[in-house]
Amino acid sequence: MNLSRFFKPKFFQDILKKLLGKNKTLKIGFYGHPNSGKTTLANRMTTDWIGKPIGTVSQVPHETRKVYRQEHVTVKDEGVELNFDIIDTPGIATKIDYTNFLEFGLSESEAKERAKEATKGIIEAIKWLDDVTGVLLVIDATEDPLTQANITIMGNLEARNIPFIIVANKIDLEDAAPEKIDSVFPQHTVVSISALNGDNTKLLYRKMVDKFK
Amino acid sequence: MRHNQMDTETNGQNGEITGLKMDFLSSSALESSTSMEKVSMIVDRVKKGDLVVIEGGLTPEEEAELIETTMREIDVENFMGIDIYTVEKDKTSFFGLSRKKTVGMTIIGPANVMKEVKKKSNFISMIANMGDSDASLH
Repeated sequence: MNLSRFFKPKFFQDILKKLLGKNKTLKIGFYGHPNSGKTTLANRMTTDWIGKPIGTVSQVPHETRKVYRQEHVTVKDEGVELNFDIIDTPGIATKIDYTNFLEFGLSESEAKERAKEATKGIIEAIKWLDDVTGVLLVIDATEDPLTQANITIMGNLEARNIPFIIVANKIDLEDAAPEKIDSVFPQHTVVSISALNGDNTKLLYRKMVDKFK
Repeated sequence: MRHNQMDTETNGQNGEITGLKMDFLSSSALESSTSMEKVSMIVDRVKKGDLVVIEGGLTPEEEAELIETTMREIDVENFMGIDIYTVEKDKTSFFGLSRKKTVGMTIIGPANVMKEVKKKSNFISMIANMGDSDASLH
């Protein structure tokens, strides 16, 4: 389905104006496990808002191994220039087993190199927690949401008073259970979407305005 | 530092793990340690193949520091990282009017050892893998 038929550019411009309604750079970090769909969602947003994707996606875990920042999304509103940045971070994990990459056809040396790069990416993602002003915590709705990585991310966001939305992603998949994410995090804002096909992203943008404005 | 150790041999002659060493630390054993000392102590032990059980939990900042330190220490062939699990307990407020969950104990071990874990909020059961590394990626 071509969503552009339904979501006209003005809708996204309005969202941006509301998001950028204050005189500071809003930096929204995309956090979550490897392969939860952070870059797919970031691509969905940047394509909707500025007409181009931010990064490459892959079935192989840890495809994003360094932080990608989409800046210079600039809006001039009554003479005030404001910037909106998207910070797409590598997936956070407590362990990396290079042999898992072999299943995706990588050679042993490629797999080891990917594992080494992934460790650096995770460190970089954690460091960015000090700089983001809002977060989308992307959780694969087909997986158990109560993992140490998710708990650590949420705990750090709460400790730093950084507002965040939990994005229950991949609801297009048959075994997705977004209601489980709702039930284990009742105190937080949870939005169920499919970043891949755009289901419910309009609702997510509205929630972002409410949460981050 | 006061702590209890539950035996046994960790390494045979060929370097393979022949037993699982578990260290149990009371909250008082850690109260005088800085966050960096706690994290270093945990990573040093886990990297040697030990399982560390701590009464209570780490702060979110300490958890982040633990992950960061673990990433620095990962050696793709010998140390693939850690697994962390927590067991919760109810905590009643001073007037007994409300209850909330707090972390009763935290279990941290090498990812290639903590093979299979069954977990509820107040119960955990684990099978340790004493042989080849076969931990999965999460």
